[in-house]
Amino acid sequence: MDVFGSFALILAFICAVYAFGGGIAAIITRHPLLVKSTRQAGIATCCLIFIATFSLEYLFFSDNFSAAYVVAHSNRALATFYKVAALWAGQEGSLLFWSFLLSIYVFSVLIAYRNKNGELMPYVGVILAGVQIFFLTLNNFVASPFKALAVPGANGAMDLVARADGNGLTPLLQYPEMVIHPPNLYSGYTGFTIPFAFALAALLARYPGEKWIHLTRKWTMIAWCFQTAGILLGAHWAYAVLGWGGYWGWDPVENASLLPWLTGTAFLHSVMMQEKRGMMKVWNVWLVFSTFILCILGTFLTRSGVVSSVHAFAQSSIGSWFVGFLIVIFGVCLVAYLKNRDYLKSENQLDAIVSRESSFLFNNLILLVSCIAVLSGTLFPVLSEAVSGSKINVGAPFFNKVNIPIGLFLLFLTGVGPLLAWRKTSVESLKRNFAWPLMIGLLAGAVIFALGYREIYSLICFSLCFFVTATIVMEFYRGAKVIRMRSSASYLTSAIELTMRNTRRYGGYIVHMGMVLIFIGLAGAAFNQNVQKEMQPGSSMQLGKYKLVLQSFDSKPEANYTGLRLNVEVFVNDKPLMMLYPERRIFETNGETGTMVAIYSTLREDLYVVYAGQSPDTKLPVIHAYLNPLVKWIWFGGVIVVFGTLVALLPNRRAVLVLSGAKQPTPEPLVHGMTPSVTYREGHD
Amino acid sequence: MTRIRKIGRSGLLMWPVLLCSTGALPLWSAIGDAQQPDHTHQLGLKVKCMCGGCNDSAGGCYHVGGAFSGPCGTALGMLKKIDERIAQGNSDDLIVQSFVQEYGQAVLTETPHSGFGRVAWWIPALALIGGFALVLSVISRWRKPLAPEPALARAGHGAPISSELLDRARAQAARDTED
Repeated sequence: MDVFGSFALILAFICAVYAFGGGIAAIITRHPLLVKSTRQAGIATCCLIFIATFSLEYLFFSDNFSAAYVVAHSNRALATFYKVAALWAGQEGSLLFWSFLLSIYVFSVLIAYRNKNGELMPYVGVILAGVQIFFLTLNNFVASPFKALAVPGANGAMDLVARADGNGLTPLLQYPEMVIHPPNLYSGYTGFTIPFAFALAALLARYPGEKWIHLTRKWTMIAWCFQTAGILLGAHWAYAVLGWGGYWGWDPVENASLLPWLTGTAFLHSVMMQEKRGMMKVWNVWLVFSTFILCILGTFLTRSGVVSSVHAFAQSSIGSWFVGFLIVIFGVCLVAYLKNRDYLKSENQLDAIVSRESSFLFNNLILLVSCIAVLSGTLFPVLSEAVSGSKINVGAPFFNKVNIPIGLFLLFLTGVGPLLAWRKTSVESLKRNFAWPLMIGLLAGAVIFALGYREIYSLICFSLCFFVTATIVMEFYRGAKVIRMRSSASYLTSAIELTMRNTRRYGGYIVHMGMVLIFIGLAGAAFNQNVQKEMQPGSSMQLGKYKLVLQSFDSKPEANYTGLRLNVEVFVNDKPLMMLYPERRIFETNGETGTMVAIYSTLREDLYVVYAGQSPDTKLPVIHAYLNPLVKWIWFGGVIVVFGTLVALLPNRRAVLVLSGAKQPTPEPLVHGMTPSVTYREGHD
Repeated sequence: MTRIRKIGRSGLLMWPVLLCSTGALPLWSAIGDAQQPDHTHQLGLKVKCMCGGCNDSAGGCYHVGGAFSGPCGTALGMLKKIDERIAQGNSDDLIVQSFVQEYGQAVLTETPHSGFGRVAWWIPALALIGGFALVLSVISRWRKPLAPEPALARAGHGAPISSELLDRARAQAARDTED
C-alpha cells in the first residue's frame, strides 16, 4: 500500500503539472478541448491525492510498521479514533493532509463551475494547479510520508525492515479535540486558496465587474468559519490538555493561525464596500493576497523551526521551500497588480466621513494594525538576533499591551458600524440609533465601577459588551417589529423570518453577538486565581469558595498508558459538590507523560484542577488548582460565531409581504409620468 | 397599546443587560477573593525559564510533556535564586538585571523599552499612525467630487432622464440599502 500511495502521489504531481502548463496554453490559444482536458487533469490530481491520503490511513489502520511514518506516529494499542489523527501528527503526513484538504476545495470548485464563468475558470485552474504543484513537490520529493523503514545493513547499504510495533502517538495529541482541531484549522488555511485564486484570476483576466467577489464570498466565509472554529478548538485543547490554566499564550504557532484570520476578517468586511459602492478594489485584492500569503507564512513558521513553539514540528530544512514559494507568490501578485492596476480604479466617492464606508475603513485599519503587531512580535526574536546579535523575546506582555486596546476599539466598531448608514449618516439617525445602546453601555460601566471594580480594560470591555449587545438587539427588534406589524407573528418568529430574509446581514449580527460573548470570556481572565499545594490523602486546599479535599490517589493500567489518578472531592460551604479526577498518563511506548485536567465548568467560572506530578522531595502528589472566571463564555461565543456564519451562508428567503391591515401607499410618478417599480424593504438602514 | 409596546420595547432592551450581567456578576465576588501572587512568583514571571525546552517564564513554567506539570528544575533553580536575592534585600530591578547579566536580554519575558527592543514597540505604533494617515488620505481623495457623467449633466439642465440611467440609480439605491 505504501508503493501504491507513492505512485498515486507521483501521478498526481504529473497531472498537476499538466493542468498548470496545459492551462496556460489553453488561456493563450483558447482551444476548448485544451481547456476541458486541463480541467479534467485538475480533477484527476485531486482524486489521486485522495487515493494517496486514504492509502496512508490504511497503513495506520492495518498497523503496517514497515512504513517509517507509521512507526513514528502510531502503535498497535493506539485507539482507532487516534489512528485517524496520526495522519497529521508529523511533518510528512500533515503536508499530505494539507494537499488532501486543498484538493477537496479544488475538486469542488472545478466541478461546481465546470460549465460556468468560461473566461475566468482557466485562470483559476492554473493558479490552483500551481499551488497544488508546490505541495505535491513537498509530498513527493521533500517530505514523503510513504518512506519505507530502513536501517543500515552489514554491507553499508540500507535494508528494509518492519518493526513489530510503533513508537506511538505523542500524548499531547491523544485528546478528542486533536482529531477535529487540525482539520478545522487546515481547512481554514487551505480554504483561503480559493478566494486567492479567484482574485488573482480576475486581475490577470481583467474580469469585469464584481462577479469574482460574488463567486468567492461563500468560499471565503467557509474558510473563515473553519479558521475560527480551528483557532477556538486549538485554544480549548491548550486549555484542557497543556495544564497551565490558560487557553492562549501568544505562542508563535497560535499567532500564525491568528494572522490570516485577522486579514480574512478585514476582507469579509471591506468586500462589502466593493460590492455596494465599487470602492476599495485595490485594497480587497491585496487583502486576499495577504491572507493567502499569511497562510503559507504560518505554515512556514510551524514547520521550519525558525521560531520555537510547543506546537511546532521538528526543525527541518523544509523552510527554504516555503520561503521560495512565498517569494514566487508575492512576485506573481505584484506583477499582476502592476500590470492591471488601472482595472482596479474606484467607481465611487465618499459622501460623508460619518458613514458605513468610513467605519469599514477604520475596521480594516484596526485589524491590519493588529495583524502587523502580531506578525512583527512573532518574528521579532529572529529579527533582533539577525540585526543586533542577541535574541530579544516578545512574549505575552507585549502582545497583551498592544492587542487589548486594539481589540477593545474593534469591539466598539462592532457596535457602531452596523448602525451607520451607507453614504451618509445624519445627526438624527445617530441620536436615534445610539441613544439607547450608549446609555446602556455607560450605565453598565458606571454600575460596575461603583461596585468597586477597577481593572480598567475589563471595565471598558464589559461596558462595550453591553453597548454592542444593545445595538444588535435593537437591530433585530426594529426589523422584527415591522414584520410583526404585518403578520401578527410573535417577536421571535418575526426575528427568525427577518434573519431568513437577509441571512448575510442578520447572520453577521449573530457572529457579532458571538464575538461579544468571547470578549466577555476574555475579560474574565483579569480575575484568574491559582494555588499549588503538595497534598496527602485527607488534606485540603481552599480556592475561592471551593474547598478541595484529596480523598485518595491510584494507578490504573490502560491499553496504551498507565493512568495516575487523584480522587478530589470538591466542597462549597462545607457541602459536597462533586468529585474531580485529575490525571497524569504515562505512555509506555515512548515514556512521555500527558495531563488530563479535571474541569468543573459553569457560566460563572471554571474550577480547573491539575495533577502536576509528584513532589521530587516528599513524593506526595502536587495539585495545581485554578479558578478562571467566565471561560465558558468563550466556547459558547465560538459556537454562536460558527452558527452565525452558517446562517450567513444560507440563501435569502424571498420576502412575502402580508399587507392585510396595512394600507399600501400608492407611489407617486417620479419623472414625466413614469411609475417606478418601488420595492418596499423591511428593516432598517 | 402604545404603553404596552413601550414596555415591550424596554423589556427587550433589558435583554442585553441581563445577558451581560449573568457574565459580569461572578466578578463582584471575585474582587474580594483575588489573591496576589507572592513576590518571588511575581519576579519569576519577569524572567524566562532558560531550560531550552519550553517558552515559559520561570514563574509560569509548566513544562508541557515533562514529568512534572509545573516549574522544571531550571525554573525552580531560578526561583530559588530570586528568593535568595530578595532575602539579601536586593531591589526588583537589581534582581532582574542580575539575570540579564547571566543570560543576556533573552532572559527577559517583557520586551525591553531600550536598545533594539524599542523597535518592537515602535512597529505597531508606526503601523497605527501610518494607517491613520493612509485612511485619512484615502478619505480626502475619495471626497473630491468626480466629474458629473454627461447624461447626469444633461438631466440637470432639464433634459429627460433615460430609463437606463433611472434603472442604474435604482440598482445603486437597492445596493446601498441592502446590508
